[in-house]
Amino acid sequence: MSQSLRPYLQCVRSSLTAALSLSDFASQASERHNVPEIEAASCPEVLLNPLIVSRNENEKVLIEPSVNSVRISIKIKQADEIENILVHKFTRFLTQRAEAFFILRRKAIKGYDISFLITNFHTEDMLKHKLVDFIIQFMEEVDKEISEMKLFLNARARFVAESFLTPFD
Amino acid sequence: MNWRTINVDLLDPESPANFAISSLSPAAPPVSASEVQSLSSQIKQLLRGGDSEGALRGALENPPYGGDAAAKEVHLATVVEILQSIKQSEMSPMLSRIYDSEGGVEVLDVLMKYLYKGMAHSSKPSSASTGSMSPQPTGFSQIHSRGGGEGGGQAMSVLLSWHEKLVEIAGLGSIVRVMSDRRTV
Amino acid sequence: MLLLDYQNVLIQSLLTERFSGASPVSIDQVVSDFDGVTYHLSTPESKTKILISINVRCFKELVQYGAQDVLEREYGPYIVAPESGYDFSIQIDLESLPADQDAKDDLIRRTSLLKRNSMAAPFERAFDDFMQRQEEASKFTRESAPEGVREGGEVMAIHYRDEEAIYIKSSHDRVTVIFSTIFREETDRIFGKVFLQEFVDARRRAIQNAPQVLYRNEPPLELQGVRGLSDGSNGEVGYVTFVLFPRHLTPQRRQETISHIQTFRDYFHYHIKASKAYIHSRMRRRTADFLQVLNRARPENEEKERKTASGRTFRVQG
Repeated sequence: MSQSLRPYLQCVRSSLTAALSLSDFASQASERHNVPEIEAASCPEVLLNPLIVSRNENEKVLIEPSVNSVRISIKIKQADEIENILVHKFTRFLTQRAEAFFILRRKAIKGYDISFLITNFHTEDMLKHKLVDFIIQFMEEVDKEISEMKLFLNARARFVAESFLTPFD
Repeated sequence: MNWRTINVDLLDPESPANFAISSLSPAAPPVSASEVQSLSSQIKQLLRGGDSEGALRGALENPPYGGDAAAKEVHLATVVEILQSIKQSEMSPMLSRIYDSEGGVEVLDVLMKYLYKGMAHSSKPSSASTGSMSPQPTGFSQIHSRGGGEGGGQAMSVLLSWHEKLVEIAGLGSIVRVMSDRRTV
Repeated sequence: MLLLDYQNVLIQSLLTERFSGASPVSIDQVVSDFDGVTYHLSTPESKTKILISINVRCFKELVQYGAQDVLEREYGPYIVAPESGYDFSIQIDLESLPADQDAKDDLIRRTSLLKRNSMAAPFERAFDDFMQRQEEASKFTRESAPEGVREGGEVMAIHYRDEEAIYIKSSHDRVTVIFSTIFREETDRIFGKVFLQEFVDARRRAIQNAPQVLYRNEPPLELQGVRGLSDGSNGEVGYVTFVLFPRHLTPQRRQETISHIQTFRDYFHYHIKASKAYIHSRMRRRTADFLQVLNRARPENEEKERKTASGRTFRVQG
């Protein structure tokens, strides 16, 4: 793990742990409804101050807490066109499987690559520290995966080009 | 006019959507930009004198809660400057001393607010500069490491290490208070 | 597996089977090949007479560049009038096959290269043209060469796909082959760029004698004045230029060079697709990993089965 990654992830971890203090909260706007307040945004007093943790301008996490839900958006590093397209493909792949991921939001918040929405119902039947572990591990692995895919693509391109040109030699 | 798109809640004074959010925070006296400026120069005086702990305390005990965005910006710059001038090895002892002193918890909560604001701040305006994503130069190799060194990374890592030390001493509660305190810096 | 074959494998295997002396059967089969080429293999008259017809999109253009001569050279006695709906047909009579095995194999090989041979004409013409020009140019020094010699020949365009074409131009010291290629999708475009960059770099890095490869989005200078080119402003169209040097154009090597360069476009796209498929499978695997991590967050409900020392299990009465 690179030197500056560890404090970044550590900071995300502690911020998330603090933000995931959720309780059941019925909607004040409509009777017998129970909605994630951060998404509904119908009552300003139950929304808390959003936190941004950033490592540099290309990598940051936005945590938007509310009384019964937290929205976490991650911006993944993209250094060039290739990484851009790989991140796009990967996040699309994941969001299309949002059903299986429970906490994955189908659409990322503007300016970020992928968003999660954790509600009090998630924290009630899942272990909170493991949820935080998941987000942290996700951030780690996504970075690694994107690098590996890029390396693979370059290596393959090189191999393919050389194989095609060798018969001319 | 499409009647369906009107948010009727906004027209109802009793609706929770119209909750007066300002009623939640204690009234803060208005602070003018010049006051912040003069405080900032006083603090820088301390900093130049080598009393970085005093500077930090001074800055954090007088957050311009009542100031406008520009005033807050000036104060943020002051705090970040102090933070950057303090050596890594001095962070933890200094934080412990402040924590044990009178009103220290409050001071550290303010510091936490500034750490988050600092991270949010520098990630905002610079996004325009990364507009053009170019393919790599036609180099011998297209394979780069994805190592750091991006813009703003240096300033961020200072804030991140402060954050780590601060959480060790002031605990997660400090983060919770940043989220829930309506008095923003 | 890495390189594409030049011949059509279906035709090859079908003829091999027929030629092996198996009892004649009637055939009626449409076979597809790259670049929208289709073949029709049938036995319209009798089971022993196999008619093989080919349909190529740009056959008219190819004829202009001398395709008929090349095909006549390759298939001389077997040529028959083209079947309707197709551009060119040959008929092979199983009862009058050449006697010796090598000749049979050669016939199979040649038949399965029908597409390659149809497309070869403009290349052959360009290579011949190059030989002539080289000879002419050798009479002059670089500066005193007359305009015509330095300029090089006409650009031959082969519109072998709906929106893509090959352009061939000969001059006294090289033959330039330009592929125009189109990427509709953003991902393909970027993957394509990565691949092409490696084609460009390969020569500098490892294979010094390979043809020079150039890649750009605007039409290259060689195509100045050719009509119907996209200006590449939307980034979808790219032009890949292969510069073949005299060493690739010697009579001993030219057939191999023609076959190989024809496969470029399909080879290139094949590997882009293969990479995408691989990356997709990687993402699938990684996603499964993530799911596993997330599922760890669920507390285990089912109580572990407890055993006594003797290995018996018992249940808590609820």
